Amino acid sequence: MTTVTGETSPQGGGVLGQPLDSREDPQLLRGEATYVGDIDLPGTAHMAILGSSVAHAKILSIDTKAAEQLPGVLKVATAADFTDVMPLPCIWIPGGVESHFPPHPYGLPGSRPVLSGDTVRHVGDPIAVVVAETPRQAAAALAAISVEYEPLTVVTRADEALAEGAPQLHEAVPGNLNAYWTCGDKDRTDAAIAAAEVTVELDLVNQRTINSPIEPRGAVGDYNAATGEYTLYASTQGPHNHRFLLSALVLGIPFNKLRVVAPTVGGSFGTKGYLYPDMPLVLLLSKALGRPVKWVDTRTGLMNSTVQGRDHRQHVTLAGTRDGRITAVRCTSYANLGAYPSTIGPGVATALMGRSISGMYDIDAAFCEVYAAFTNTVSLGAQRGSGRAEAAFLMERLVDRYASEIGMDPAAVRRKNLVPKEKFPYDNGLGWTYDSGDYQLNFDRAIELSGYADMPARKTEARARGKRLGVGIASYVAICGVGPSTRMSKEGMLGGTWESANIRVHPTGEVTVTVGSASTGQSHGTVFAQVAADELGIDPATVQVYEGDTLKAPYGQGTYGSRSYSMAAPAIALTARKIKSKLVKAGAVFLGVPEEKVVYADGQVFEEGNEENTKTFAELAMAMWYGWGLPPEIEPALDETTHFDPPDFNYPFGTHVAVVEIDELTGETEVVAYTAVDDAGNIGNPKIVLGQIEGSILHGLGQALMEHAEYDLDGQLVSRDLNHYALPRAIDAPFFTLDKTVTPSPHNPLGAKGAGEIATVPPAAAVVNAVVDALSDLGVRHIDMPVTPEKVWRRLRGEAQ
Amino acid sequence: MDLSLNVNGRPEQFAAQPNELLVERLRDGLGLTGTKVGCDTGQCGTCVVRLDGRSVKSCLILTAAAAGSAVTTIEGVTTPGGELSGLQEALRQEHGTQCGFCTPGMVMALGELVDGTADREAPTEPEIREWLTGNLCRCTGYHSVVRGVQRACSAARADAPAQPATAAASGQEG
Ligand code: FES
Ligand code: FES
Repeated sequence: MTTVTGETSPQGGGVLGQPLDSREDPQLLRGEATYVGDIDLPGTAHMAILGSSVAHAKILSIDTKAAEQLPGVLKVATAADFTDVMPLPCIWIPGGVESHFPPHPYGLPGSRPVLSGDTVRHVGDPIAVVVAETPRQAAAALAAISVEYEPLTVVTRADEALAEGAPQLHEAVPGNLNAYWTCGDKDRTDAAIAAAEVTVELDLVNQRTINSPIEPRGAVGDYNAATGEYTLYASTQGPHNHRFLLSALVLGIPFNKLRVVAPTVGGSFGTKGYLYPDMPLVLLLSKALGRPVKWVDTRTGLMNSTVQGRDHRQHVTLAGTRDGRITAVRCTSYANLGAYPSTIGPGVATALMGRSISGMYDIDAAFCEVYAAFTNTVSLGAQRGSGRAEAAFLMERLVDRYASEIGMDPAAVRRKNLVPKEKFPYDNGLGWTYDSGDYQLNFDRAIELSGYADMPARKTEARARGKRLGVGIASYVAICGVGPSTRMSKEGMLGGTWESANIRVHPTGEVTVTVGSASTGQSHGTVFAQVAADELGIDPATVQVYEGDTLKAPYGQGTYGSRSYSMAAPAIALTARKIKSKLVKAGAVFLGVPEEKVVYADGQVFEEGNEENTKTFAELAMAMWYGWGLPPEIEPALDETTHFDPPDFNYPFGTHVAVVEIDELTGETEVVAYTAVDDAGNIGNPKIVLGQIEGSILHGLGQALMEHAEYDLDGQLVSRDLNHYALPRAIDAPFFTLDKTVTPSPHNPLGAKGAGEIATVPPAAAVVNAVVDALSDLGVRHIDMPVTPEKVWRRLRGEAQ
Repeated sequence: MDLSLNVNGRPEQFAAQPNELLVERLRDGLGLTGTKVGCDTGQCGTCVVRLDGRSVKSCLILTAAAAGSAVTTIEGVTTPGGELSGLQEALRQEHGTQCGFCTPGMVMALGELVDGTADREAPTEPEIREWLTGNLCRCTGYHSVVRGVQRACSAARADAPAQPATAAASGQEG
């Protein structure tokens, strides 16, 4: 359960900042929302994908004859059927790194073909498709395809893939090294470490995890032969982006002949922004067969094909003084990109992680290097808190290690090194410039709320019950609000990362907002209506929000990295301001007074000093629609668009404190209390953000305690379904104590910072710190995630890790 | 084989393969897509429906095994666009749903718990969590769902005039 101590803080006294009920919830609660699996177009045929059963092999032959004979089968296709289709692109190649893959038009690098032909590189690598009348017939036909493989040696770890003599995944990529990427100042950092009074080091494994949205992915392709237009319905968090990538870069069709629709999407957490082979396949097969083609993944299919997360092996070093001043941090990381570069995976594994490693601390010298390697595993991508969670984990583990080395309280060490308030904007020396923050206030609040001072007494009390109590702190800064397009281009992102919004005021005074963003469960329809209503001074019930359909909405990147509220919402606010200023101009005509005398407030215009002379929003809307009597410089109607490209990112931050109890007999770790104080700037709807924070914390605790995508030596994913991959259940959620601080970002007109996933960033570090604290008297200095009872049980009995 | 089911109060007759799962009949055969499929192994609970009043995972039961029974799906809980049930209303007030994919299964599973509380002690928080272990949610962290159930149980008890209305501890919120 959760206690929330923070006040809700409406910003302008209007509807923004209020905990309005989500208007999306009723239809979700009635089961009436349409997810991609629920779409049933007339004449739909069903597609199933055959994934490789081995992790690395040459394909000697594929025999599809038996499958073709089976009842209901309409088509069986292999790579040979798609030779004129371009490979899927990778659009985030970290700065300074060359792509080894053949380029696309527009200079974009390629990544993988829609179907693998000669070689397979991970279990689940798609090699054939079947389309049949029913899903069952399609699945049955898959089983009738026989594939002859010549097995190749398998490698599943990044460091091993880079070793001499390792199996080679791609001819074009010698040594399996996709990227050697660095940030920060190596010489300065090395020198600071060499000269330091104290240094501490850790070898860390940030294990591979599977995001596991509860809805697996799906896609429906519908080609219209009469118009030559394609429609893709897909569980996507970025319909516009998918439209761009698929039309121009994969299918080679005109941009304006592809429409992408995101219906209701059942969670994503980063995984549904990627381009997957199934998307072009349903479109191509729909064209070939003249019928809509539908594909819905299974859970096992998802686990063997949808991007996975984290997966770094790191050697990290921190240097400091005997009295607790951190002087340098250094990280060498081996990142496992999987078998192919996913749409943005290489950027996640490098820039998002590396530039974040110094966290909330004012450190003079910092350096991070990442070796991003290919292995025979599913491609790597984003995962709730991606990159930033990995960074927070290494830094916060190091700080605790350092504190114990110098015999200082971990809270005191952190407090001493926080970036001081007066240093903002703060250049962290790794490439990010933090916009704003009051880290001391936030940190002190978390420490106080967690009852940190009482921990020694609680430890003694727990010991009497056969439990070891440990407390762990983790602070973080999360880069959000991707982003400033030019800045992202320097980061290697190929594409504009701005966001757009359109507001159309109808003659009846109702308002339609369309945005390029696309919700995957964040109640955008509620929150974005609040933004428009607040600016325009009207009732949010009269505002309707549309998104997720490229035909209806202007372009936008979509929802990822907690960017919607700090990117799309500012675009809405700025558009509303354009509407208001037009209404002030037109109001002068309608009220018969000079423009300087016209005031817009509370959804009406009136004459300054003569409030009787007024026109309501609805009256203005109708008058603008008629357009009668408007001077030539004022166009009729109210229809405005803004493309918002912020000057820089925004940087939410926070401090979490975990308290765990370890059972001496069983080694079980229970999180018995969890305190989180996050700062996401100004918040649009605290009720919705509260839900996101709660879910995010549990996701982070999942990585700490139970989640692990485990591959065996043959490259088989052992944790291939939910019997073998543990997700947190309701009984795993501890009591949360939540609060917030509010430091507005100067980089957007709402003062917003990212919120949705930020609370996933610190929990893993907080929990592992707490576990190590509980076991420290046994000489335990580190324990790898997930912290399973068996691992702890062994450590309790003195076994080494 | 020819089978019959009573689905949301309506008799349905159809021919089914012996290996057909109940969830396939509901979604593909009867077009009742409110019931979701989230996994292949009976772990996620998105497919929960009520079979003769008891919540079951419809991906784990053959249509043939359910033959002759009364099935209630999420579509049977309210009319389209109609008033929410007490549990749904409480979940709405607590924002117990985000992406909503787990939601129908949760409503069906929790319905059994809430229905039983009007005439007995309100379930404790650990009991609610225990009841929820068959349903996975990746978005909410379950807290808002638990708050919703507490709210629903309070309301159900308050509505039952013969019973003393004891407020369930809601434990929150500022
Ligand atoms: S679909 Fe039935 S339990 Fe997951
Ligand atoms: S609300 Fe998304 S899985 Fe529960």
